[in-house]
Amino acid sequence: MAQNEIAIDVNNITKSFKVFLDKGSQLKERLLFRKRSRYEERKVLRGISFQVKKGEAVGLIGHNGCGKSTTLKLLTKIMYPDTGSITMNGRVSSLIELGAGFHPDMSGRENIYTNASIFGLTKKEIDARLKDIVDFSELEEFIDNPVRTYSSGMYMRLAFSVAINVDADILLIDEILAVGDANFQAKCFNKLKEIKSHGTTIVIVSHSLGQIEQICDRSIWIHEGLIRAEGPPKEIDLEYLDFMGQKLQESTRKELEEKNQQEEEEKSGSEQETEENTEAEETPEEKKRWGSGAARIKRIKAFTSDGAEQRIFRTGEDIKFRLDYTVKETVKDAVFGIGIFNRDGVQCYGTNTRIDKHPEFDLDKNGAAEITLEKVGLLPGEYLIDFAIETGDGIPVDYYREAYTIEMISAAGDVGIARITHNWSI
Amino acid sequence: MNTIKELYAYRQMIVSLVKKDLRGRYKGSVLGFLWTFINPLLQLVVYTVVFSYILKANIDRYYLYLFVALIPWIFFSSSITVGASSVVAQKDLIKKIYFPRMVIPISYVTSCFVNMLLCFIVIFAVIIVTGVGINFAALLTLPIIMGVEYVMALGMALLTSAVTVYFRDLEHILGILSMMWMYMTPIMYDKSIVPDRLMPFFNLNPMTHVIECYRTVLYNKAMPDLSTLFFASGLGVAFLIIGCLVFNKLQRHFAEEL
Repeated sequence: MAQNEIAIDVNNITKSFKVFLDKGSQLKERLLFRKRSRYEERKVLRGISFQVKKGEAVGLIGHNGCGKSTTLKLLTKIMYPDTGSITMNGRVSSLIELGAGFHPDMSGRENIYTNASIFGLTKKEIDARLKDIVDFSELEEFIDNPVRTYSSGMYMRLAFSVAINVDADILLIDEILAVGDANFQAKCFNKLKEIKSHGTTIVIVSHSLGQIEQICDRSIWIHEGLIRAEGPPKEIDLEYLDFMGQKLQESTRKELEEKNQQEEEEKSGSEQETEENTEAEETPEEKKRWGSGAARIKRIKAFTSDGAEQRIFRTGEDIKFRLDYTVKETVKDAVFGIGIFNRDGVQCYGTNTRIDKHPEFDLDKNGAAEITLEKVGLLPGEYLIDFAIETGDGIPVDYYREAYTIEMISAAGDVGIARITHNWSI
Repeated sequence: MNTIKELYAYRQMIVSLVKKDLRGRYKGSVLGFLWTFINPLLQLVVYTVVFSYILKANIDRYYLYLFVALIPWIFFSSSITVGASSVVAQKDLIKKIYFPRMVIPISYVTSCFVNMLLCFIVIFAVIIVTGVGINFAALLTLPIIMGVEYVMALGMALLTSAVTVYFRDLEHILGILSMMWMYMTPIMYDKSIVPDRLMPFFNLNPMTHVIECYRTVLYNKAMPDLSTLFFASGLGVAFLIIGCLVFNKLQRHFAEEL
């Protein structure tokens, strides 16, 4: 690779932070409490090297605390590496902190000048960009009002417009596309693509793998201060998601097991007591739960297709729910129902045994009901699930809102509520 | 060399920070920008009352004698005391975004400097109103004197602002130190009353020469002996170089320390 084609050259950098247990920066504290200024060295980066070619877009991925944001901070020169070197060829602009130096009492226009000057632009350069910045922010009418009168959305829009209009050779971005409404986000995203097509080198840190896949030519997966893998986003992101999914599933499995164990222990006490306990525990949830109480859902569990208890599922997997219920009085011609809602409160799916024409049944003693959802196409995110027991004529016996939460994960970047199985033929 | 080039590229940032500082300083107060003038005037009244009527300094037109020295001193002392906390005050910016860190002390000292220039309007007004008159030839040396003082103040501010990040007590220590420094500089009294034994000490103080020059030009209406300024400017440049070196060394870990 010719030297002049490289925009960023990171050579074996390490960085550790001193984590002070109890730090005093005053003389008195330093002298009197010498022992207190003990600190632990935490190695955040353990030797990372990579190169970014001019015009290339690279995404840094990894879980929280893996060192990806630190890497970005080192690239911007906010911090310096302990060892190793970083060479940046060209003007660097960072979209790490939006609206740096904004003064609430000054007008939008004045703040554009202040903010842009912090990016190293001269007055002339700002004058030339002013129109673009204002146009992009869609704030023409408000541009001479003090920034304190802006809504937070307007504020971010102005800040982003300034940052994105600094014509940099290298653009560093940290979780930037979480600003404004969906429309503005799309606009920012398109602008980024445009900037990229003009040959700007881009480094993005993001949790949104979909965005990385759309913009970046390469993903670098940083794990515990080292590069674990790098390559085309589609492959690396999938590998990463797989890893994260497994980790998440493991940790929740552990959690669930522990919880079960606790319950078991409680149960091994007096049976009578447990009965009372569950009654008492349920009272605060009463608002989310109503019905005659003749039968009650006692416990809900979710399982993967291989029978392991889980609450995180991959899009396309089967999900099985088991409802343990108790019966006080016989419920004739009972109906079980399920409703799945996403975080925005949109019902994604709902059905019950009546709709599904399940043969009639009565509930006369404690038992368990199971429902298996096959190849669930819900896209990544959290979903709240309602469960209900009703009588045949629709009177709630135990309607339990938001009874259970599941999380869906997926590496693909498709959007919407649920995946529809599809085929292209071109 | 690189630093200078970079600072030049960020000149607009210095300009906007100075503007922001000057405009924001008295934001929300009723008298607003007028405080820039009221503050030194009131200080002047206090010192004049104390030294003309109570302590009786026996100096002709003591108010002017004091004023032409006090205004430059206020610029110098606020540059180093308040300037010391300027980097700490901008920690949000420093932790989040890259720019040459020196921009901060530079713009703070510059805004103090502009403030001093504004106060000079009051000085000239007093000079004209009271009929003291101006020596225009001598006045031409004023920018040189101001330049020397600026360089000195900047060097000190670079030093104190960088060290304060690691050692916050400095802010408070500097408050006392600058008061001591003020009394060891012939601002409220004449150099002639300084005991001979202490004289070498006073001559070592670069501010003595700077203040004397201001006074010669504005109060005595005479050409200042610029050769006395050589020492002060030499020291000023030394301050600036040391300040730059220390600042450059210390600024690498600003983001972590703040």
